[in-house]
Amino acid sequence: MTVDIPLPPIEAVPATQGRTRHAGRAATPWQRRTRLQRAVQALAPLLRKPGFSLALLVVLFALLAALVPQVLTGFDPYATSPADKLVAPNAVHWFGTDELGRDLYTRVVYGARLSILAALLAVAIALVGGLGLGVLAGFAGGRTDALLMRLVDVLLALPGLLLALAIVTAIGFGTVPVAVAVGVGILPGFARTTRGEVLRIKTLPYVEAARLGGASWVRTLWRHVLPNAWGPVAVLATLDFGAAILATAGLSFLGFGAAPPAAEWGTLIANGRHFLITAPWVSLLPGLFLVAVVFSLNHLARSAEEHAR
Amino acid sequence: MPTLHRLFAIGSLALALAACSPTDNAAADKTLRIAFWGDNTTLVSVDPFQVYWLEHRVLLRNVVESLTDQDPDSGRIIPWLAQRWEVSADALNYTFHLRQDVTFSNGERFDAHVVKTAFDSNKAFATQLPATFGATYLAGYDHAEVLDDFTVRLVLSKPNAGFLQATSTTNLAVLAPASYRLTAQERSLGKIIGTGPFVLDHYTPEVGARLTRRADYAWASANVHNKGPAHVEAVDISYIPEESVRNGLFLQGKADILWPRNPFSEVDLNLLQSKGATIQSRSLPGPALNLYPNTRNGRLLGDRQVRLALQKAIDRTSYAHTVYNTAFPVVTGVYDVTTPFFKPQTEKLAYDPKAAEQLLDAAGWHKGDDGYRHKNGQRLTLRYNLTPAESAGDVLVQDQLRKVGIDLRLNVLTRAEWVAGNASGNYDLTSTYMTRADPIILQTILDPRAANSATLATNTYAPATLAKAQALFDTGITATAEPQRAHAYGQLQDLLVDEASAFPLYERVWQAATAARVKDFRWTAEGFALLSDIQVAQP
Amino acid sequence: MKGYLAGRLAQAVLVLWGAYTLTYFILYLLPGDTLAIMLSASGMEADGLSAQELAQARAFYGLDKGVFEQYFALLWGALQGDLGQSLSLGRPVTALLAERLPQTLALAGTAIGLSLLAGVGLAYLTAYVQWRPLKAALARLPSLGFSVPVFWMGLLLIQVFAFGLGWFPATGSQGTASLVLPAITLAIPSAAVYAQVLQRGFQGVWQEPYIATAFAKGLSRAQVQARHGLRNAALPLLTLVGLQVGNTVSGAVLVETIFSRNGVGRLAQEAVLRQDIPVVLAIVAVSAAAFVVVNLIVDLLYPYLDPRITHTAKVS
Repeated sequence: MTVDIPLPPIEAVPATQGRTRHAGRAATPWQRRTRLQRAVQALAPLLRKPGFSLALLVVLFALLAALVPQVLTGFDPYATSPADKLVAPNAVHWFGTDELGRDLYTRVVYGARLSILAALLAVAIALVGGLGLGVLAGFAGGRTDALLMRLVDVLLALPGLLLALAIVTAIGFGTVPVAVAVGVGILPGFARTTRGEVLRIKTLPYVEAARLGGASWVRTLWRHVLPNAWGPVAVLATLDFGAAILATAGLSFLGFGAAPPAAEWGTLIANGRHFLITAPWVSLLPGLFLVAVVFSLNHLARSAEEHAR
Repeated sequence: MPTLHRLFAIGSLALALAACSPTDNAAADKTLRIAFWGDNTTLVSVDPFQVYWLEHRVLLRNVVESLTDQDPDSGRIIPWLAQRWEVSADALNYTFHLRQDVTFSNGERFDAHVVKTAFDSNKAFATQLPATFGATYLAGYDHAEVLDDFTVRLVLSKPNAGFLQATSTTNLAVLAPASYRLTAQERSLGKIIGTGPFVLDHYTPEVGARLTRRADYAWASANVHNKGPAHVEAVDISYIPEESVRNGLFLQGKADILWPRNPFSEVDLNLLQSKGATIQSRSLPGPALNLYPNTRNGRLLGDRQVRLALQKAIDRTSYAHTVYNTAFPVVTGVYDVTTPFFKPQTEKLAYDPKAAEQLLDAAGWHKGDDGYRHKNGQRLTLRYNLTPAESAGDVLVQDQLRKVGIDLRLNVLTRAEWVAGNASGNYDLTSTYMTRADPIILQTILDPRAANSATLATNTYAPATLAKAQALFDTGITATAEPQRAHAYGQLQDLLVDEASAFPLYERVWQAATAARVKDFRWTAEGFALLSDIQVAQP
Repeated sequence: MKGYLAGRLAQAVLVLWGAYTLTYFILYLLPGDTLAIMLSASGMEADGLSAQELAQARAFYGLDKGVFEQYFALLWGALQGDLGQSLSLGRPVTALLAERLPQTLALAGTAIGLSLLAGVGLAYLTAYVQWRPLKAALARLPSLGFSVPVFWMGLLLIQVFAFGLGWFPATGSQGTASLVLPAITLAIPSAAVYAQVLQRGFQGVWQEPYIATAFAKGLSRAQVQARHGLRNAALPLLTLVGLQVGNTVSGAVLVETIFSRNGVGRLAQEAVLRQDIPVVLAIVAVSAAAFVVVNLIVDLLYPYLDPRITHTAKVS
């Protein structure tokens, strides 16, 4: 049997740190608190950081826009108004208007639903697929592990965008195919991270103790392994949520996006790029908004991760 | 911290090196630089017979030449490589008397044998690949007879009133026999030898092409003012897909002619003009940008009332002024105005949302709470198949139709799906165009017997209308006298608008911006440019 | 060690074959009929032709073979170094790649170099800076680096540096100057990843006992950073460089479109759209091969960089 050298995945913390962190957590046997208490206690110091609060606000705004866009704006995102085409940002049109006179701020707000849905779907696909593959490989070990990891290697070796292009061309244009394509593209990362975590946890004393105590594999998996493997995977999911939004934008740029007149953020930026010289706000403002959201997501994920360490 | 120092040193060195790369001003002086949009990536070819791509036809017009030429103002066919010709009474025999002073750029003589080789090679290619674009130009061609070294007779097996015009196009241009000895693929990639004022130096797909001047050129047609060799020494053509990049290059002075496929938007137009550019425009002959309905198989547009309502619900003035600019011509018929026998339909294409609503009410479509019209529980949703991406204009029409309660679905598809959709009739509206300065071109779209997609052509008409349209196409192609043709094509245009079998959206105006140093930019009949006339001023 | 090498090579070959096969079947499942696209490209649609004419056209384009027959023919050819004919360009794929690869290699090579330079530089700077607010800002800079869509960054760089300042050409494939903007665009996301990982590595390293020893020996902060910090953080960085090969190819698709560069990325995108199966397959095979080879080298380099890792068989 060949020995597989586990490559630390992109976002993985070097193993030594992971271990010390876990040891630290396990070594503080303390009075049990409610979930809420624990959450509040964990968040409180973070919320005192202005950067974290600001990032949280941006993300909450994006989520609000995705759920109830009509609360955030009074305009119709699809109503054209030829007389007001390409108006620069002002008090009425905060982000200005596009080439058909539609209010850009409104389009960004309404675009949130599609963009966030697409990203959620992509991450969900990657999460379910990656988690499944990773847990199976990590747990089963041996040939199954080798086989599954080769499959993951195959996916990893295929350039993400080319794979996405082929998938989108195969199943058609639109938000869902794009999400599927992006999800498949980021799946290998999840599979590797999960497998790494499972392999690490499997050898921990308390898991072995649970097994020796007669717990079934499924129960061990469910009660002991998954909850502990979850941390790094959740961070990766948050990071990849941002990455998925960007990947969707990239595909929109190449012409694969939502059916018009609806528009994801990527489509807005991509369509506005023709006016970069003459009316830069059409591309710049949605672009800055997208950057703000993705950056905030990254910031939240990093802060949470650093805090946990 | 030596490493850090080293890093910075390397970085600034790289910047310095890049910044002081020399600019070659001297060589650029007599070179004309044209920036087109992206190259054709579906059919990679500059073989004249196969090419339908407009930008390649611009290039080819200056490299290869045809038996005749077409006057851009009157549409009349005038002499070029043939000094004169006779057409037999039955319109089956075309006898061309050729110029005797013409040579190809490889030194071969242009004569009757060469013409026969060219037409026979084209026919052989069309037999092998009937789908090729040039085949429609060659329709009816049977064989060629060499009467003497400089007289050739082209014999048709069936009448083709567009044949004389076809001999003026790039598609039936005459190449040197050496070119025909190569494979079609070699020709496609730039092995093209013609008699034109420029020689195709190379063609690199998706990147560009270079034309160099022929010093001994002296047989221009009457359309060209410059009877001798071209004024510029070379023409550099580049294909730049990104609009903002293309415009930026032009504004920076890195391109002399900015020539995208779609007309300029108002902001771009203002910017270009403020920088001293001249905007050259010409309506491309052939159909306007029309939407074609699917009236068959119980589709919603099978109802003539609905089609007529749709015709009235489109605000073509707003389209031209919003998507392009206030000076942009509003489309007035199913053909562009530069097409011979064009007949305006201005009244019938006027915007009248009230009349549209009345027609829809009368047809039993009533507005529901969602703002759209419904009948028997079905929403008035029309599926418009388009490829590869929607334009601002499409979205504008979508919103215009929403106002009268029609739900237009912009169905963006890959080319493959779009083609499949047309062939299976899985659409309510679709769109396509061709450019040729003869009304016959509409047959390649709308006559099921000759169309690229027979399904699309059939679906456009209600069953009774199809027979009428075909009869008119037949009259148009067999008539030999101009008034007869004008009458037939006039009736055809009326029929298409009255039956709402075509919905014109905009006039296909081709615009190029020329820099201040470019003089004497002039159009050919089919909307290409005569590059040998162009002068570039010395700075 | 020999056994390990053989096994690792076998794995690499297996992964390559898997990538090739997977791509072939995805492409073959595309809904459109390649023939219909090609016909439509030449101005005709399939329903306008008779069955006989269709058969002629099919033969003309070499499409008259079954799925598996075509697959095995292609695979057999690929094994012998013949990647087939492009359906739409009518030229051998190897010739196309030979023409386009240098452009992409130059771009990707410069980008990888730049990204390492920028990533390492930024990490050093972050470690070196003592003023807390600046340190915090620098620590977050990588996040910003991969929060910006590649295509958008490219367009902004063109506007500022090509059209605004006029320092570099916006398009073209000639000379080093035309390489600068696309390479920077392509380098930014990778540089951000490297910087991020290194920043953490450096942070972790400061807590190691041997750093205290190093200081005790009288080494300066910069010396410690260079000798111990980088050495330790270099390992994950090496892995990342291997993994970024795929991202670089993906980025090249976008960057080459924006900067009108005539490379493999653009060829790939267009080939997918026109279902030019041999071309897409070849590009995927080549980039998968690049990925596999680079990662193989990385794996084999590990023991030399970190003596704690060996490839001699462990207890299995």
